[in-house]
Amino acid sequence: MNPITRERLFGFRHAFDDRVTVVLTLTALILLLLAPLLIFVVTRAANSTSDKRKELWDRYRSWIWLALFILIPILAGAFWTILGVATLCFLCYREYARITGLFRERTISLIVVIGILFITFAALDNWYRLFVALFPLTVALIATGGLIPDQPKGYIQRVGLGVLGFALFGSALGNLGYMANDWNYRPILLLIIFAVELNDIFAYICGHLFGHRKFVPNTSPNKTVGGALGAIVLTTPLFALGAHFVWFGTALDTPVRLLGLGIIVSVVGQFGDLMLSSIKRDLGLKDTAKLIPGHGGILDRFDSLILVAPAVFHYVNHFVGFAVGQPQQIFSG
Amino acid sequence: MEPWKLQPAHDTGLTPSERFRSVRRESGLLESLAHHICFSMLRSYFAVAHRLTIIGREKLPAHGPFVLVANHCSHLDALALGAALAPRHRERAFPIAAGDVFFQSTVTSTFSAIMLNALPMWRKNCGPHALADLRRKLQQEKAIFIIFPEGGRSRTGSMMPFKHGLGMLIAETNVPVVPCGLAGTFEALPPHRTLPRPVAIKLVIGDALQFASTANDRTGWSQIAAQVESPVRDLVAQSRTA
Repeated sequence: MNPITRERLFGFRHAFDDRVTVVLTLTALILLLLAPLLIFVVTRAANSTSDKRKELWDRYRSWIWLALFILIPILAGAFWTILGVATLCFLCYREYARITGLFRERTISLIVVIGILFITFAALDNWYRLFVALFPLTVALIATGGLIPDQPKGYIQRVGLGVLGFALFGSALGNLGYMANDWNYRPILLLIIFAVELNDIFAYICGHLFGHRKFVPNTSPNKTVGGALGAIVLTTPLFALGAHFVWFGTALDTPVRLLGLGIIVSVVGQFGDLMLSSIKRDLGLKDTAKLIPGHGGILDRFDSLILVAPAVFHYVNHFVGFAVGQPQQIFSG
Repeated sequence: MEPWKLQPAHDTGLTPSERFRSVRRESGLLESLAHHICFSMLRSYFAVAHRLTIIGREKLPAHGPFVLVANHCSHLDALALGAALAPRHRERAFPIAAGDVFFQSTVTSTFSAIMLNALPMWRKNCGPHALADLRRKLQQEKAIFIIFPEGGRSRTGSMMPFKHGLGMLIAETNVPVVPCGLAGTFEALPPHRTLPRPVAIKLVIGDALQFASTANDRTGWSQIAAQVESPVRDLVAQSRTA
């Protein structure tokens, strides 16, 4: 392993070399510091009930932990970032498997878990060919594993749920981990996560301010056309501005391409949210778990990120590529 | 084409600490692995430290649901019965443990749930719904329960009369009840000791009993308690002389 790779994987001394990383980290910390004041003022002004106040404080306390869970691995190094993404993949898959009942299919669940472990290894190793080969190979393995109980009844259901689980929480979310192979991964990941979370907040605020027409009332009754459009209008230029500094001087750094990326983040982020709403409504559930006070499950919090990760990865990969110039197969080579 | 049957885990919507204390708990991959590792280690421990002898293992039903019933005078009892089960049974084996001992704090309930796969029985505030949940779990999930109908550990080593709880779980069902007799666990780890002594333990497994035609009422529960207590007493005597 050369010193540059070691520095990328484990080095934290250069964590704040990029100004986008500094700005986003400081913004997150300032928001966390100001939030108590904001909650205090809003709850007083709105004369909120004690339940509402408790929910807001629960959410705030959870956000402190979530911010640490996101910021510390990204700042600490690519190795910790990839492990952090793997943890997120496992926690999301666990919740998905439990709400769909797939966890009772031990063989298929084990194959999905092994698939996520291999995706994590491919990301750590910077082995792109293995990374892209793992989706079809794991699907083939799930289809084969589904034969083991010798029970054709329910085969399509268990294999279908297994493939969807791996596609969403192994293959799609795993793209976030692979991005850590880029030399400039810190601002990229922080920008994506920040933009996706802001997109949710913008959709919520715009929905309250301008939301009259329901967007998809059967899937998510609270979503409005105004909220969705407002989120696109606000998130796109903000993300494009951040992306301009992150990919400065590259083939991606043109107004059209940057705005295109911003629209992808906003639109696909909202689709991710709706996807989980559909899954939950199909199952008759409000939340995927009761793990994070005030939020529900991990999946409830990170749903918007699931579809954004592959969309951004392949968009950027098309124009500038990820991990350009970085040694491939760090451990296996 | 039949519609898909999506059945979320029975413990969906519970916080982690509520889940560990709940009889609705269903294990995932990691927890199943933890149970297997724990029971494999216990099996080795009992073989080496207590030279565990099992007589009549062939009398255990091939698959769940069934209930293992034994005399109770030591914390080692449930562990010895769990260690006697075949690996294929371990995932579905649930020792029914006293809630006020094993599920009182977060640490003990986490350990009892993750390592031992135990389910709580609250001795003071056990409402009918708790037993109804256990009864449903036993049948629907093809579970294997390890139960001590005396209601607690004997302080003297001699068996106490069986209580009604067992009957409330299995009356009017086809679930087999397998009586067992344990000897040596009291000498190895009596209630007043903290660490076990390396004393030989013997487990004798008896013929399975069924109570499909026994009424699910107070009279039926008494009959079940009496009909199970008698073979367990015989098996305890056998295990002491084996």
